[in-house]
Amino acid sequence: MLTLLEQLDKGTLWHSPGGIHPPGLKTTSNTQSIKRLPLAKEFIIPIPQVGDLATLTVKLNDHVLKGQMLTNGKGFTYLPVHAPTSGKIKAIEKRSSNHASGLPVLCCVIEPDGEETWTPLQADQASLLSNDAIINKIKDAGIAGMGGAAFPSHIKLNPASDINLVIINGVECEPFITSDDRLMREHANEIIDGVKIIHQLLKPQRIVIAIEDNKPQAVASMQKSIETLTLDDCKIRVTVIPTKYPSGGEKQLIQIITGNEVPSGAIPAQLGIVVHNVGTAYAIQDAVTNGKPLIERVVTLTGEQIGQPGNYWIPIGTPIKHALQHTAFQAQTQQKMIIGGPMMGYAIGELQVPILKGTNCILAPSNNEIGPDLPEQACIRCGECAVACPALLLPQQLFWHAKSEEFEKAASYHLQDCIECGCCSYVCPSDIPLVEYYRIAKSALKNVAHEKKQAEQAKLRFEARLKRLDDEKQAREAKSKAAADKRKQSMSSNDKDAVALAMARIAAKKKASAAEPGTESSTTANKKASVNAAIERAKAKKAAKAAQTDGPSVVIPSANTDTAVTDNTDVDPKKARVAAAVARAKAKKAAQANPQPEANLVSQSQISSVTATDSENTATPVIADSAEYAVVDPKKARIAAAVARAKAKKAAQANSPSSAQSTAEAVQIKTKQETTTETTDPLSSAVADNTQISEKTVIADSVDNAIVDPKKARIAAAVAKAKAKKLAQSQPKSHQPANQEVVSNDAVDNARVDTVQELSSSQPAIGTNEAPAMAELDDKKARIAAAVAKAKAKKLAQQQQKD
Amino acid sequence: MAFKIASSPHINTRSLTSGVMFRVVLCLIPGIGAQTYFFGFGTLVQLALAISVALTAEALVMVLRKRPVMSTLSDNSALVTASLLAIAIPPLAPWWMIVIGVLFAIVIVKHLYGGLGHNVFNPAMAAYVLLLVSFPVQMTSWVAPQSLAINPADLNSSLQVIFSHSATMTSEYFQLGYDAVAMATPLDTIKTDLSMGLTATESLHKAIFSGSVGVGWFWVNICYLLGGLCLLKMKVIRWQISTAIIVSILICSGFGFLISPDTHVSPLVHIFSGGTMLAAFFIATDPVSAATSPRGRLIFGAMIGVLIYVIRTFGGYPDAVAFAVLLANMCAPFIDHYIRPRTYGHRSGNAL
Repeated sequence: MLTLLEQLDKGTLWHSPGGIHPPGLKTTSNTQSIKRLPLAKEFIIPIPQVGDLATLTVKLNDHVLKGQMLTNGKGFTYLPVHAPTSGKIKAIEKRSSNHASGLPVLCCVIEPDGEETWTPLQADQASLLSNDAIINKIKDAGIAGMGGAAFPSHIKLNPASDINLVIINGVECEPFITSDDRLMREHANEIIDGVKIIHQLLKPQRIVIAIEDNKPQAVASMQKSIETLTLDDCKIRVTVIPTKYPSGGEKQLIQIITGNEVPSGAIPAQLGIVVHNVGTAYAIQDAVTNGKPLIERVVTLTGEQIGQPGNYWIPIGTPIKHALQHTAFQAQTQQKMIIGGPMMGYAIGELQVPILKGTNCILAPSNNEIGPDLPEQACIRCGECAVACPALLLPQQLFWHAKSEEFEKAASYHLQDCIECGCCSYVCPSDIPLVEYYRIAKSALKNVAHEKKQAEQAKLRFEARLKRLDDEKQAREAKSKAAADKRKQSMSSNDKDAVALAMARIAAKKKASAAEPGTESSTTANKKASVNAAIERAKAKKAAKAAQTDGPSVVIPSANTDTAVTDNTDVDPKKARVAAAVARAKAKKAAQANPQPEANLVSQSQISSVTATDSENTATPVIADSAEYAVVDPKKARIAAAVARAKAKKAAQANSPSSAQSTAEAVQIKTKQETTTETTDPLSSAVADNTQISEKTVIADSVDNAIVDPKKARIAAAVAKAKAKKLAQSQPKSHQPANQEVVSNDAVDNARVDTVQELSSSQPAIGTNEAPAMAELDDKKARIAAAVAKAKAKKLAQQQQKD
Repeated sequence: MAFKIASSPHINTRSLTSGVMFRVVLCLIPGIGAQTYFFGFGTLVQLALAISVALTAEALVMVLRKRPVMSTLSDNSALVTASLLAIAIPPLAPWWMIVIGVLFAIVIVKHLYGGLGHNVFNPAMAAYVLLLVSFPVQMTSWVAPQSLAINPADLNSSLQVIFSHSATMTSEYFQLGYDAVAMATPLDTIKTDLSMGLTATESLHKAIFSGSVGVGWFWVNICYLLGGLCLLKMKVIRWQISTAIIVSILICSGFGFLISPDTHVSPLVHIFSGGTMLAAFFIATDPVSAATSPRGRLIFGAMIGVLIYVIRTFGGYPDAVAFAVLLANMCAPFIDHYIRPRTYGHRSGNAL
């Protein structure tokens, strides 16, 4: 088994699939040596011509020299543009491009002065230069692939990987074109000098010059010039390959010479192979050895409509029109003007376009020569295209999918591996312009890929935004949580309770003010109430002290009624108060009219207290209700108080000495009602939050307040009433003072016992919910006792009045 | 001046679809000649009738489809379809059969599927199967070879038989028929004989075989083979399908013959009798309904060959070309989907 290098030395050729054998038609142009044309009237130099963006370094009306660099730039594929002749920059403007589209591109238009004055050239001997220096010279000379693709050559001469094989492409497989043929015939030595420079740069083990067997003179010429050539560690040979289109394609040539396929999407350098065109080798030699930039090239002008077909050295930038005018071009109707060969060349619509570095042929065929464009017919799936395809594609399937715009499916048949050689279209019996379909499909796929890329980017951006927003939100939340925790930590439980209480109060008040706009400002009422409560507490303490120290007091019994009322309001203020007021009113009426229904009075008091207890049990879930009650309370209470006051006045009118005390009593009642209203609010709201121990404490506190306050208030009221009654007793002469005293004493005793019980039981009741109930029971007893006492007192009073 | 803009390539082989089709018809001529020689002028009458009906039908359909009439007619595809059907049916089949067959082939099988290039089935074979299933008596009454016929059908009598509206006329001929004008094909004879308990060898001693694969049939097949080779030479067809059919029939029948020569006819009979060569070179190679990749074509052809053998040997029909081709047509898109050539650059290349 021979190694690949040995097989290369033997000249073994491999089969490349597909391909066609179109008529060569090369003799039209290859019989005469390369000539020159007269200088054109103007030169059109596209800026940039090849590769990355370039900056123009000349201005309008500047005088430039032949070979002068017109641009600078920095891009990876940047290649400088040179003046093809000496002259003046006539215009810098957009001109039609030498492209199938003909779209205008920026051009530098030079008007030659006819002097052809060269810019100073740097001639060198390649073997004395460093590789970098050579590469720079090649780059500065603006050398691009001369085979048609016009890829910057210095990049291919400076590959990342090691190169084992250099193929010099002299295949020129397209019909009509003979520029490389003539160049090899006439300038074989210069080409070989270029090959030597390539060898110096790439250090390959083998160099193969590949030429099709339809160019025997070129083969002979090249053979002759390598006969005496010796290269370090490298063998060079001319390999003749059979004529077949598209053997000159880079991938196809590699397959023919080495049997290897360039993997899809890869470049030959990855296989250790580099392919350069013979024209490029010539240009490299010219650039390195003579310092001449690439400002002219050999162009084949051919086709039956050109009177003097042949090959010409034509400066880059020469308008095609000028070249045709000097080669006796005769246009016919429906004339096609093809740049490149008939297989891969493109038709241009306008002649005032420049010759470029990759322009190897201008073909002006007669209609007979290339045949008319026939209308497309139905594909009969004959499969000839698949036989002809050098890329082993299934063109009929590609066509099928491309035509129905199923581009993804076309891509799944490896559309991207199509080299657009045109073999399929060439063999198609139905005259389907297959390559055109593939180009459309490819550009559509490119667009799709582009859009997909954009969509993906947009998606990434969107996701990033979402994430950012989310992160910000979380950061915010974390921050506020941390702040809340901090606050919590810094707050004592009391503070928190206070906050909760305040919140609850505010909520209750809001509702209150919303429901009862007519009521006096609750804040003021509360203030008043608390002030009054404080005053009363103080008084109650005093009274309690007095009661405890001074012993039984005569006046207490009448106060007990009020106490009972207050206690009721403590739990269900409205009903209790209303009931109490009613009871009181009745009691008074009864006292005034007939001193009978003690039982009724007592029972009513009992009922109201029972109701109060019930409502207290249900108080927890009904904050709003209790709040409402609380709201309603003051009004009703006030009404009741007013009623009571009015009654008291009546009573005072009837019994003037006690009027002041009655009024005082009424005022006190009112005050107490407000006080209890105040205490009910925190109670009910606190009860709603009774999950926390601290809040239980609050309940206990408020309950305690509620208990203590009414107690104290009661005591205070009792003191007040006692005073009033003392007066009443002292003023009129009593018939039965002893009786009254006895009853009163009993009541006072009861009341005092109750009070003491309350005081003693309220202390341990702190922190428990039993306190209200306890208080309730006591209250009831006290109330009953008080009511009894009051009734008796009133009876006495009535009796006294009667008396 | 404005120059004409066109996409590359700017040159084309001057081979045209119409030329491809016309060459197919040209290459049928030796076979048609042989068929006429051995089985009388009926074939030519059927041919003329089929072509005229096909062109008329195609023109009408193109008018209905609002497409250019002349360019479609000039692609010669209807000509090929009509010719194939005309030579496939019995030469003396009544005129309305070929008319029905051609109309079915052109209108339904071809144009209702979208016209040339879009039909799933081979139009001629689909029409043949329609006729075979619908009119089995007429379709299996093949003309006796001229040399065996008591009353050989000349052009006049052929026309009379084909165009006779009188049922009696036809039936008289066919009554005479079994030994006179119409008779079973060799493959049919073998099938019948085998079912009657005769051995294949005994059956082959009948007059219709004349010691060979069947009077006339051998030469007809040879002529189609020649025509097919011409097609190959002109690169109108590629070798894969034809070769695969013949080779697969040879293998299958050879295998059967080796195992049981009494109940299996020899590979030669399979190859050179019935429509084998016509199918291998002219029918199965219809590019539209066949697989397109080279390997796919091999599979496609082998499938037809095996099906022909299987149906002939184990099925109810004496010849099986039409069924085999239609069944393979159904598989062609499937084959094309899975059998794809490896595209350039899609194998692991070795670096130097």
